[in-house]
Amino acid sequence: MKMRGFGILAVLLAAAFLVLPGTQALAEEPITLGCPLSTAYLYGWDADRAIRLAVDEINAAGGVNVGGVKRPFKVEVMDTRDLEPGVPVSEALLAVEKLILEKKADFLVGGPVRSEAALAAMSLLSKHKKVSIFTTGFLSPQFHAMVAKDYDKFKYCFRIHGEAVQLVKEIMACFQEIKDKYGLDKVFIMVQDVAHARGGGEVLGKVATGKGWQVLGTEIYPTGTTDFSMGLIKAKKAGAQILNIWMDMPESSILLKQWYDMKVPALPFGSTLAAAEQPGFWKATEGKGEYTLCNVVNAGNAPSDATPWTMKFYDAYAKKWGVEPEGLGSSSSYMAVYVLKDAIERAGSLDSEKVLAELEKTDLMGVYGRIRFDPKNHQVIPSFDPKEGAVGSIIQWQDGKRVVVFPKSIAKGEIQLPPWMKK
Amino acid sequence: MDILIYGTINSIALALMALGFALVYGISRVPNFAHGAIYVLSGFITWTFLRGLGLNYALSIVISLVLMGVLGALLYQFMLIRVRGMAISEIIASYAIGLAILEGLRWGGFKGMSYTLPVFVEGSVMIGGIPIDFQRIVVVGFGALIVLGLWAFTHYTRIGLALRGMAQDERAALMLGIDSDLMAVVAMAIGAMLAGLAGVLLLPLGNIVVESGYNVLILAIAVCIVGGLGSWMGAVLAAFLIGFAQILTVVYLGSHYQMVVALLAIIFTLILKPSGLFGMQKELEERV
Repeated sequence: MKMRGFGILAVLLAAAFLVLPGTQALAEEPITLGCPLSTAYLYGWDADRAIRLAVDEINAAGGVNVGGVKRPFKVEVMDTRDLEPGVPVSEALLAVEKLILEKKADFLVGGPVRSEAALAAMSLLSKHKKVSIFTTGFLSPQFHAMVAKDYDKFKYCFRIHGEAVQLVKEIMACFQEIKDKYGLDKVFIMVQDVAHARGGGEVLGKVATGKGWQVLGTEIYPTGTTDFSMGLIKAKKAGAQILNIWMDMPESSILLKQWYDMKVPALPFGSTLAAAEQPGFWKATEGKGEYTLCNVVNAGNAPSDATPWTMKFYDAYAKKWGVEPEGLGSSSSYMAVYVLKDAIERAGSLDSEKVLAELEKTDLMGVYGRIRFDPKNHQVIPSFDPKEGAVGSIIQWQDGKRVVVFPKSIAKGEIQLPPWMKK
Repeated sequence: MDILIYGTINSIALALMALGFALVYGISRVPNFAHGAIYVLSGFITWTFLRGLGLNYALSIVISLVLMGVLGALLYQFMLIRVRGMAISEIIASYAIGLAILEGLRWGGFKGMSYTLPVFVEGSVMIGGIPIDFQRIVVVGFGALIVLGLWAFTHYTRIGLALRGMAQDERAALMLGIDSDLMAVVAMAIGAMLAGLAGVLLLPLGNIVVESGYNVLILAIAVCIVGGLGSWMGAVLAAFLIGFAQILTVVYLGSHYQMVVALLAIIFTLILKPSGLFGMQKELEERV
């Protein structure tokens, strides 16, 4: 009888090891991912959700193989508040430092989100020699310029999503399609008074002028603005045909409502337009945001078939969180965890120098195409073709849905004009 | 033409935001720093009745305004009355109430852009080649009605006359049998309803966001300081001054400087004429 009892116990123990491979990993010391994110805002909460989704998937599959030992990921999120109006950059830096010193983060994934805060955090990350992958909102081209210029200091920082210069390239290519199809060539720029938007608007203005577009004016709005009527009248009086919008504040949905109510005959084209990226935009504008175009930076943040992984991620996110991926940081934050896992496993260690060396060698077919970093400046390599690099996505709101209209390689529909613009 | 049209609309919107604050201060001498929070709260309450409970829009607005009136009365009766006469305590107490309301809303999940109220009338009209949506015309109409209504109320009703009496000289009003505490409760209730009314009129032009509460408070204070604390007609005039100055700034300098106008107006008024255009604190003049 005793022997039989031992036998049952042995079988149960063996089954536990065979059936639950993750159990052993969970018993090991976790690898802590510190996530400094502005959690009250879209680019913070969508990144948070995407990171947790990737971590749950990886942990369920057994964790991360660190030199033969399977270890789980653990997520520590700290609110940087950097997207909130009037909150100083020092708040974000404090959150980053707390994650490193108090939460003992092994790696940082996520933000800070606002470019000003992220740029300021780079020196801090270098001081602590913490490998960090920026995954959301941080669009300033200054990032890779800084890494390229002072590689030894900033080599710990990587950025896995698109940046402003690439955004401008995509937008200009899309502008050209609009010009060819509808003959539009006059643009009015509306930007939020933050670094990436001011910089992006300025670059776009110069590039567009160089390519024969008439740039009729630039209007700058403080964060939190709720009335855009005079700017819209300016654009209308100037004869604008495209409104190029660089705003990540939620109040930008008001701009689109006012654009509709005033029937401004210009196609709204968001370069970063957080409000229009979200599935809730249709409801928030009561359908008045129809025809708004918006660059969601990387594929996977809106439905497309960029790679076999795109819709797999999209559906998993929607299933876990009850909402579709909402903003530009979703797919990139998700991929950052997988890319980090891949690098740690190849390095066989959590040592910053070894992991960063492996991150530079990353070559992974991910949610938004082939993920590789430029080894000199640590910026993800972009492309219009998902087989070659990280592919962007420009969507247009059509009949309550976000339809990918650019680039052609992953487009699901054609760009349309609102009825009051049709001749 | 656009300056004239949008200057008028902007001025009336500012007057709507500030009237409640000016009325409460004028009568009870309590600076209600919870004014912006009440503005936003009325929007969220209307939204809850309309979208959450599926009530009729007009009924949702009426219920929201009544609730704001009750809230205003209760805030005064149970909180502000205890610190009345102690200026700093009044400011701290009312600001704390406002913070609790706004941050409580945020904590309760009222954040993001998904909270919107429908416009009263869809569509727009062209006047002199300038597009104006009907909701702004509604704002102008209601704004004018409210100003006229307030004037009539304070000149031709017993309560209104009592409120004016108290605003002019509280001790004399007491001698005439006017219950000053009751009148202060009434003033606070009307002020809260006016803040709520401004909210339900103006919020359909955008989204209901917690941050609006802080902006509205700043604008209301700017209007009241320029107009003269305690004078609601001064507030109306100041709303036009600031409203047109803001639109001129947007047209000739850019939207970026719009908010600076209100802040500069506060600074210059306090330097040059601290009692404001129609201020009742003449002693401030003597100090300059």
